[in-house]
Amino acid sequence: MLQSFFEWMQGLPFSAWMLEETWASPIIQCAHLVALVGFAGAVLVVDMRLLGRGLIKTPLNQLARELDRWMIWSFVALFVTGAPQVLSTALKQYYSPFFWWKMQIIVIGLLFNFTIRRRVAFAKEGTLGHWPKVVGFLSIGIWTSVSVYARLIGLLS
Amino acid sequence: MRSLFEWVDALPSSIALRESLNAYPTMLTIHVVSMCLFAGLIAYWDMRLIGFTLKKVPVSNIPTRLFPWALTGYGINLITGALLLYSQPMRYYGNFYFWAKMALMLVAGINMFWFHYATYKSVQAWDQGREIPLNARLAGVVSLVLWAAVVVTGRMMAYSGLMPGWWNNLNIGA
Ligand code: HEM
Ligand code: HEM
Repeated sequence: MLQSFFEWMQGLPFSAWMLEETWASPIIQCAHLVALVGFAGAVLVVDMRLLGRGLIKTPLNQLARELDRWMIWSFVALFVTGAPQVLSTALKQYYSPFFWWKMQIIVIGLLFNFTIRRRVAFAKEGTLGHWPKVVGFLSIGIWTSVSVYARLIGLLS
Repeated sequence: MRSLFEWVDALPSSIALRESLNAYPTMLTIHVVSMCLFAGLIAYWDMRLIGFTLKKVPVSNIPTRLFPWALTGYGINLITGALLLYSQPMRYYGNFYFWAKMALMLVAGINMFWFHYATYKSVQAWDQGREIPLNARLAGVVSLVLWAAVVVTGRMMAYSGLMPGWWNNLNIGA
C-alpha cells in the first residue's frame, strides 16, 4: 500500500521534471536549509528561554507568542521545500530508515509543540516549577535529532 | 596556495580522515547542526535590527544574552568546517562554491565588525525604541543576505558539476 504510493510519487511527471532539470534539486535543497535556519532560530530562542537562558529579561510568553508565527511559517517553508524532494526521490526515501525516523520524529515534535510546549511557554511564568526546563530540553532534542536523521538520509542511504 | 592544499592532501592525518567511513558523515552532520545554532540566532538578531521581529526586546539584550551561544555554534561550525576541508583539500581547491563561501564569510565578518565598532556605539539611544537608525537596519539586511548566501554556497559545494562556465575556464582544479 505505502510502497505503491511511493512508487506512484516517483512516477509523477513532476518527479521526472525535478530529476531532469539540473538546477531544480540544488535550489530546493538550498532553500530547505535556509528555511531550516529560520526554523532553528525561532525554536531555539524560545527553548533557551524555557531553559532559563538567553533573553531572560523579556517575558517568556511574549517571546513565545511573537516567535510562534516564525516557527509555523518556517515549518511551512520546510514542508514546501521538503515535499518536492520526497516526490523526486520517493523510492530512495521509502527505503531509507532515516527518512522514516525523521518523519516520525517530526510528527512527535509537532504534537509535542501544539499540546505541551506552547501551553507551557504561554503560561504564567514561575507557576510550573521545573517543567519549562524539561520542555525546552526535549524540544531542542527533538528538532536536533530530526536534523541529524535528515542529513543521514543523504549521507548513508 | 595550491602547494599548501597539496601538502595537506598528502599528510597521513588527512588521508586517515579521508579514508575513514564515519568521519565525513559525522563532521558534516555536526557542521549542519552547529550551523543551526549559529545562523539561527544571528538571523533573529539581524531581523531584530531590520525591525521584522522581537521589537519589544531591547536591542542590546541580544548581543549580551544570545551571542555567547551563537559564538559557541560558530566555533563548532568552524572546527568541523576546517576538518572537512582538511580531509579532502583537493576536492575543494577547484570548487567555485568553496571559495565563494569563504569570501562571503569574510565580507559578513567585515560587516559585523564595522557595525559593532561604528553603528552599535550609539545603541543606548535606540535600544528600547522602534526607531532603529538606517545604518543599523542596513547592517542587518546585509548580514541576513550574506549568511543566507553562505548557507547556499555551503550546500552547493557538493555540486562540483554546476560551477559557472567562466570558473571552469580558469582550470583551477586541473
Ligand atoms: C514535513 C516537512 C519536511 C519534509 C517533507 C522534508 C523532506 C526532506 C527531504 C526529502 C530531504 C532530502 C534528504 C536526502 O535525500 O538527502 C530533506 C533534507 C533535510 N531536511 Fe527536511 N523535510 C521536512 C522538514 C524538516 C525539518 C522540520 C527539519 C529540521 C528541523 C529538516 C531538516 C533537514 C535537513 C538538515 C536536511 C539535510 C539537508 C541537506 O544538507 O541537504 N527537514 N528534507
Ligand atoms: C571556516 C569555516 C568553514 C569551513 C572551512 C567550511 C567548510 C565546509 C565544507 C568542506 C563542507 C562540505 C561540503 C561538501 O563536501 O559537500 C561544508 C558544508 C556546508 N557548510 Fe561549511 N564551512 C565553514 C563555515 C560555515 C558556515 C559559517 C556556514 C553557515 C552559516 C556553513 C554552512 C554550510 C552548509 C549549509 C553546508 C552544506 C551542508 C550539507 O550538505 O548539508 N559553513 N562546509
